Amino acid sequence: MISTQRLALPLLALACALGAGGAVAETLNVQLASDIRSSRPGVNRDALSDNVALSVGEGLVAFGEGGNILPMLAESWTVSEDGTVYTFTLREGRTFHNGAEVTAELVKQSWEATMAAPEFNCAGFFDGTRGARVTGIEAPDARTVVITLDQPEAMFLKNTAQSQCGGMAITHPDSFAADGTWDHPVGTGPFTFGEWRRGQSVVLEKYADYQPLDGGIDGFGGHKEALVDTVNLVVTPDRATAIAALRSGDLDVVPFLSTSEAAELTADPDFEVKSSPHGGMITLLMQTADPVLSSTEMRMAVAKALDIPQLVEVATDGLGTPNASLVPEGSVYHSAVHDEGIAYAPDEVPALLEAAGYDGQELVIQTNRRNPINENVAVLSQAMLQMAGINSRIEVLEWATQLDRFRSGSFQMSAFNYSNRADPVLAYSAVTASKEDRGSAIWDDPRAIELVAEATSTPDGEARQAIFDELHQLYLQQMPFVMLANNLTVSVNASYVQDYSTWNGFARFWGVSVDR
Amino acid sequence: MTRFVLSRLISAIPTLFLVSLAVFTLIRLIPGDPVSLMLGDNIDDTAYEAMSHQLGLDRPIPVQFLLWLQGVFQGDLGRSITTGQPVLPLVLQRFAITAQLVLVAVGLATLLAVPLGMLAAWRQNSAFDLGVVVGATALMSIPTFWMGLMLLLFFGLQLGWLPVLGYVSPFEDFGAGALYLIMPVAALVLHECGILVRMARASTLDVLRLDYVTHARAKGLTEGQVLRRHVFRNAFGPTWTLLGLILGNLLGGVAVVETVFTIPGLGRLIVESIYGRDYPVLQGCLLFVAVTYVVVNLIVDLCYPLFDPRVKTT
Repeated sequence: MISTQRLALPLLALACALGAGGAVAETLNVQLASDIRSSRPGVNRDALSDNVALSVGEGLVAFGEGGNILPMLAESWTVSEDGTVYTFTLREGRTFHNGAEVTAELVKQSWEATMAAPEFNCAGFFDGTRGARVTGIEAPDARTVVITLDQPEAMFLKNTAQSQCGGMAITHPDSFAADGTWDHPVGTGPFTFGEWRRGQSVVLEKYADYQPLDGGIDGFGGHKEALVDTVNLVVTPDRATAIAALRSGDLDVVPFLSTSEAAELTADPDFEVKSSPHGGMITLLMQTADPVLSSTEMRMAVAKALDIPQLVEVATDGLGTPNASLVPEGSVYHSAVHDEGIAYAPDEVPALLEAAGYDGQELVIQTNRRNPINENVAVLSQAMLQMAGINSRIEVLEWATQLDRFRSGSFQMSAFNYSNRADPVLAYSAVTASKEDRGSAIWDDPRAIELVAEATSTPDGEARQAIFDELHQLYLQQMPFVMLANNLTVSVNASYVQDYSTWNGFARFWGVSVDR
Repeated sequence: MTRFVLSRLISAIPTLFLVSLAVFTLIRLIPGDPVSLMLGDNIDDTAYEAMSHQLGLDRPIPVQFLLWLQGVFQGDLGRSITTGQPVLPLVLQRFAITAQLVLVAVGLATLLAVPLGMLAAWRQNSAFDLGVVVGATALMSIPTFWMGLMLLLFFGLQLGWLPVLGYVSPFEDFGAGALYLIMPVAALVLHECGILVRMARASTLDVLRLDYVTHARAKGLTEGQVLRRHVFRNAFGPTWTLLGLILGNLLGGVAVVETVFTIPGLGRLIVESIYGRDYPVLQGCLLFVAVTYVVVNLIVDLCYPLFDPRVKTT
């Protein structure tokens, strides 16, 4: 006969196990539309690789929601009077995923290794090609990092925080294999880099010793606490399969969805569709060097022929909001000046066409089917231009081909989206340059180029605001292209996923919990 | 036999060379290149030139081709522009996954289709024959991606019996691996079955009309003996040829099925490398596919005498 005492222990163990039900490891399964290119922040990257880098790594500073710069691994910094020396003070007690403490010497080594990487995407921002050159990185003591530039650079901190630069995430030397090649990131972020099965999945594990900052979630900074134990990023190239997997519960989040697919799921109570605009730009580009479109009157006629609110509404399935300015609505620089746009005025188009000497020449609008918004913009624009008496046709290209034509400037009109720009000056510099220097330049007005250069070296504040205001007014006078709206990230998650959101085009896995 | 194999392999060399040259040239003639894709809309001419130089893409195309060819002779197919992985191990790894899928599917399709086709021919113009013909035609007509999606929706989503996405190697976990392979294998089996049934039926019908079959029946052999001993061996030849072609095609990658079922196979790698303009990977994959095709068809030819003693490989 089994005694009560002998039964008591197993029963107690069972009760403990049942009581610990809340501690069952929770996994967030997320679609990854294609595999990441590499695991090294800012090196051989694309947007999906950046997303992983931003979850695993942290830089000295990070972007906040308003495009402002927040402290991250650095708790504070000072800039010398001449604007060339940045002195960062590191937070105490921050550790890498291998348990090693974050020291100034390791920060210096990480920066130097990243800048020396041949495929470092942001080399131009730090080697003097596209701004100031980093001439020295010093670690005078364990908590102080001093970075010296060859000239003042107002964009230095913002370049440092850019997602395409991997946020200049600080990684431990253990990230490299014994032969000096990159192995996997040993960073400081809320998630550690787990198993990467190429072509199949990337697993991120909660970093148990992560010390979140106080406050709330703010851009890529602020309170970054991992609430799930594992994020399983599953490579699922086919969107129909991803939606089926979401419905079956094999996926919890599909982070990047077309607006039309999202529209189909909006009414379903099992899912939450979230749309968040970012600093990317939905545009209808015009080649100002083209014989027909070189006339300002002609470009103005095109702009006035477009009913932009309607176009944006339809092209984005009601999820987008028109924005006539390159300064995103969420930016602190989006003043009332930037609310001004070219109003829909088809009655004025004939006079403008006559003034431009337009004689019915056909305009070709290039687009692609990879991004449904581009295709919608092209189709709707063509219809509106035809109605206004502007002869146009659509040329659908494969994305790589359209990009190639964009690079060389070989287009008349192009329904084109620019990727996320975290600062207005990055948005303006993407379109503004001399066409002789850069084939992809759209706006080559000397005054605009001068203003962008000025904004690049002007620190945040009123002077910068004035520059952006003048740039927008100049844009409205010259209409070098049609800015339609800010691009959006549309995501869908199962309703049992709580507090999931994307910001600036990236999925944030911290602060997300799952209650199945 | 050895001379036959050697002569076939030697005659494949010009084919492989031409395939390599065509692939190498054509992919570079398509507008768009890996550097543009990597730099995206952040592109400027300085960055473009620097990265092109770094990847060796600024060299003349004939020089690039010769360098690549030199690597091929040394067993080095280069490195992926996208991920930096060496191409040969990558291709072999992906091929192993595709091969599992395809060999199981073609094996099952053959086991199902050949008896069905033969029985349909034997019962020509019966309700069974009509059912097989209609079914085979329907299966042939349904695109594999649609078949895949329907299987996924029904067995994965509605019934919840099978996993909707993911892949587990059967060599790591046989049970789970088999579970993940059921739907993609079924999609391929159903489609290939349709084609094989039609071929098996047609060739069996031809053989059934021959005099020696009548003679065999007149000897008093049972219908089963006639079909097994006399009809099958003679009727299987065309189906076997078709099987070789199907196998060669499928081993070259079943991109659609692999994409729908998220299987990281060779087909998906080819598609990704085309969209990503990953020249070394695409060149490596297509060279490998061409070699596979040659080898599979050589094996098919070598197996002919097993079914038809009239065929000799000398």
